[in-house]
Amino acid sequence: MLNIHKLVLSLTLVLLFGVCGETWAANDAGETKPDSLSATEQDWTQLDEDEEELVVWDPIEPFNRGVFWFNDKLYFYALKPVARGYRAVLPEPVRESTSNFFQNLATPVRVVNALLQFKGRKAADESINFVFNSTFGLAGLFDLKVVQPESADGEDFGQTLGHYGTSPGFYLVLPILGPSNARDAVGSVADSLTHPVSSPYYLQMKQLEIIGARVYQTVNHLSLDRDTYESIKKEALDPYLFVRNAYMQSRAARIDK
Amino acid sequence: MRYIKLLILISCGLSLWVSPADSAESPKAQVKATVDQVIDVLRDKQLQGEPLRQTLSSLIRARFDFTIMSQRTLGKYWRTATTAEQQRFVSLFSELLEASYIGRIEAYSDESVSYGDERIEENRADVATTVHSGNTHIPIDYRLVLQGDDWFVYDVVIEEVSLIRNYRSSYGEIVRKEGFSGLFKRMEEKIAELRQSAGETTSQ
Repeated sequence: MLNIHKLVLSLTLVLLFGVCGETWAANDAGETKPDSLSATEQDWTQLDEDEEELVVWDPIEPFNRGVFWFNDKLYFYALKPVARGYRAVLPEPVRESTSNFFQNLATPVRVVNALLQFKGRKAADESINFVFNSTFGLAGLFDLKVVQPESADGEDFGQTLGHYGTSPGFYLVLPILGPSNARDAVGSVADSLTHPVSSPYYLQMKQLEIIGARVYQTVNHLSLDRDTYESIKKEALDPYLFVRNAYMQSRAARIDK
Repeated sequence: MRYIKLLILISCGLSLWVSPADSAESPKAQVKATVDQVIDVLRDKQLQGEPLRQTLSSLIRARFDFTIMSQRTLGKYWRTATTAEQQRFVSLFSELLEASYIGRIEAYSDESVSYGDERIEENRADVATTVHSGNTHIPIDYRLVLQGDDWFVYDVVIEEVSLIRNYRSSYGEIVRKEGFSGLFKRMEEKIAELRQSAGETTSQ
């Protein structure tokens, strides 16, 4: 029932940014400030006109906090120790190449979504790199960067939906996968149809192989990560709120691009 | 004699004309100076414990405007707070941000920082920087406001996530549910925790 491979990938995302829902509320109305005011005269309690107050719709917060707690334990007691052992065994260049390989492998997902948003240039850049990296880059182990894309962030179906005005819906923390929202959860399922590993249309890998690939990708990713989640836990007054907001901001910024 | 007068006049005029642009160093140069100094201090293995913290603290306090950051973080709650609460918040928030910022920089002190574009609009500026760590490149943007000749940081945007907007939502929710007393208690605990873990790493 649960799409485990997607869950594992999401966990990585969640741990880094959280995956969450978001709703936007306008700035408090009617308080415009002239530009000529000096810093001390300015009302700094207001956000700038180009910024929007981010209000998360989190109707199932108690449930989400429960799952967040579970994912936290899973990270510290299972994934992280495995990643540490893995890091001790394999040198960094090998792990970087592994990461390149998975990054290259997911190109179809990014191309499809760039096309769905009529971002032709992005789709072309991604495709050119895919062709060169898959061949001369030895199946993607080496990122030759034949084309330097304007922005490094890849498109996904959650962003495609957002691009056409779909609101994020409620905030949702998924087991293993981590923070998400109604929109992005739907997006992940759609993306799994175009991803070479999980797609039922080509390669046609077995369920167990799909899970294995995702777990391996996650462990490899964590072996390169510099304790992002640890520093969030250490610094934030409430890591749950920090992750929720960071994920929302990050998704909103990516949809705008 | 007339020429000398004229020369003096011209040079005075010139210096007046040049000075506004000249006296204030560019925001990028000012950010770079602070970041480089912080990294230098962190690499200096002689400096440890309390003296290290003091040095970093004075460097950071010279570049960050914690009062503006506090106002922005509390938003509407700032306006309802008493003066005493405002002062208490600014002082706790400064300590907390300082400890977090030092922790972050410390983790990346062996990596390189490159400086991108600066964008200046009236008395505000954005300075783009990137921290390079192996294959990963983390964009960190500083938002600054001009006060006198100096640019002061009022927000740090890491990978498009504004820290102040993040704090604004978390702290707002904590104040709403637990009041200022609840918020202050949490902040004090967090500062103690961060100090302790910093002490552990420096004594290792």
